[in-house]
Amino acid sequence: MKISEIWYLVMVNVTQNKFKVLLTSLGIIVGAATIVMVIAIGVGGQMDVADQFKNLNAGTIEIESTSSSTSSMMSARGPGAATISTASSSTRAVLSNDDIEEMMFFIDGIEEAVLLATTSQSVFGGDLDESTTASIVGTSEEYAHIVNLNMAIGEFITQDMETAVETTVVLGSSLATTIFGSASAAYGNIVAIDDRAYTVVGVLSSVNSLVNGVNVDNAAYVPYTTADKYLLSSTTYPEIIAVAADFNDVSTIIAKMNVLLTEIHPTGTFTISDAGSEMEAALSSANTLSVLLISVATIVFIVGGIGIMNVLFVSVKERTQEIGVLKALGTSKIDILLQFLFEANLISIIGGVIGVALSYALMPLMEYTGIRAEPTASAAVMALLFAVGTGTIFGFYPAYQAASLRPIEALNND
Amino acid sequence: MKTIIEMNNICKSYQVGEEELKVLKNVSITVNEGEFVAILGPSGSGKSTLMNIIGCMDVMNSGEYFLEGTVVHKAKESQLGKIRNKQIGFIFQRYQLIKRYTVLQNVMLPLLARGQSRFQAKKACIEKIKSVGLDERIYHKPSELSGGQQQRVAIARAIVSEPSILLADEPTGALDSNTGKEVLEIFKSLSNQGNTIIMITHDLKVAEHAHRIIRIVDGCVATE
Repeated sequence: MKISEIWYLVMVNVTQNKFKVLLTSLGIIVGAATIVMVIAIGVGGQMDVADQFKNLNAGTIEIESTSSSTSSMMSARGPGAATISTASSSTRAVLSNDDIEEMMFFIDGIEEAVLLATTSQSVFGGDLDESTTASIVGTSEEYAHIVNLNMAIGEFITQDMETAVETTVVLGSSLATTIFGSASAAYGNIVAIDDRAYTVVGVLSSVNSLVNGVNVDNAAYVPYTTADKYLLSSTTYPEIIAVAADFNDVSTIIAKMNVLLTEIHPTGTFTISDAGSEMEAALSSANTLSVLLISVATIVFIVGGIGIMNVLFVSVKERTQEIGVLKALGTSKIDILLQFLFEANLISIIGGVIGVALSYALMPLMEYTGIRAEPTASAAVMALLFAVGTGTIFGFYPAYQAASLRPIEALNND
Repeated sequence: MKTIIEMNNICKSYQVGEEELKVLKNVSITVNEGEFVAILGPSGSGKSTLMNIIGCMDVMNSGEYFLEGTVVHKAKESQLGKIRNKQIGFIFQRYQLIKRYTVLQNVMLPLLARGQSRFQAKKACIEKIKSVGLDERIYHKPSELSGGQQQRVAIARAIVSEPSILLADEPTGALDSNTGKEVLEIFKSLSNQGNTIIMITHDLKVAEHAHRIIRIVDGCVATE
């Protein structure tokens, strides 16, 4: 029989049993939708990680003073021993510009380092009817370069502003829009932070991510000295953000920092972490999640395949006499095998296409769950290939069983 | 006259438990081209087994079978399929039409199995459907037809591939007497056109429509 005619007969069979075909393909629909969704969630997770770190240089090192522990401790997290903690007592050290000067002097390979202190304060001005609360970050000129912040308008904090302890502020894009309606309206205007007037000297371009634990778009950046004088409380502990000139020197620099800080602050405890290792660890977690989700999707496919196999077995049983007639009329074994196999394939393809369409329909709903899902064409193709593969593998045995029936026994089957 | 079927000393037995049940015992028959032959026998006489062997749907234990020169008794299963497709047209008691297919699609099946496309097969099929008087029912499903009409579709399906023999198994068994007569008239007409017909029946009145009657009793040819 011509392949085109086998397909023709299969199409007739399938169109005459639409509801049955739909029920049979349910497993494949769920499997295909699952595989597209889980890959989308996996890709979304990886993109989240990438976004989270997009403003951080891989050579960025973050030093925090902590108050935990009373004995020496070293810990490694992620590849490359990312985090080292050391302590000798419970007193919490306060990091300062003196520490940065010591580091720059004694440790080779540090390109830049700045102090960073974050607090939360009420902000008022512009179009606001009542004050709002925003993250206020005290830092220095170099910070914009270290974390790749770009200006939408104006300039970032300068050395002069810091030296003169000026009450100037650089607003994140969303905060500027919330207070003044636009970045250009904000520029040069006055905003009150903790009831003190600050001049807006610049507005940052939208970043849409967290940098050093701060949502940049909703934050206000002031000179570190100004923050230290007016905004930081005694319970705010600044951290140091440094960047290594060469990414390969990060672990050496961290080790040296650890030794130096212990010497400078014998009673302090510090957590030193680097962005590159955190990035790798986060990506590794995202990849592990993807593999886990794809495994789940594969199991769903196998269950769907078994469903197809069961329905085809029943179909072979129901159509035994029909197979007998086809054999009596001289239809060859291979033609009957192909007819049932193509039917399984068609059911799988229909299931695959509906599943992929369903996943794309459901994707927007993922926004309400807070899980980022990024659909990709390759996931859709993979789902379809999986569907066809499942149909072929699980459809083969029932098809073979049908083709192997003896004509006389098939015809006499009631 | 050309011999279409030559069967010599056909034996067929089935194993029932430990006992061997001999169904056909040294059956020898000959059918010539254009003959309308009835194989008559009571239930359990072995006529259905003989029909299955003539129709290449079952194999004999011993004996020789030549179908229009083809050595059937040495053919393998795949070859038997080709013989059935090219040389035998089946007409079953219960029509055996595929319910999902239309009249045209059912009649097309032997030609599609032969490797023709439905476009190539369509003209010949419509011609045969018209010849059995069902030209108004070409796109109907079997469930929309009466028993007699369904049997006529089965006849159209049997003759569309222009086989060497038409093999009818109790073709009037599921029909009322008037419809049965109509079907037998079609057989006579086909016979008059030169078709070779072998009809299996237990009914003497039906068998009397044939040119020749072969009686089977207890697995043996009793009389011709």
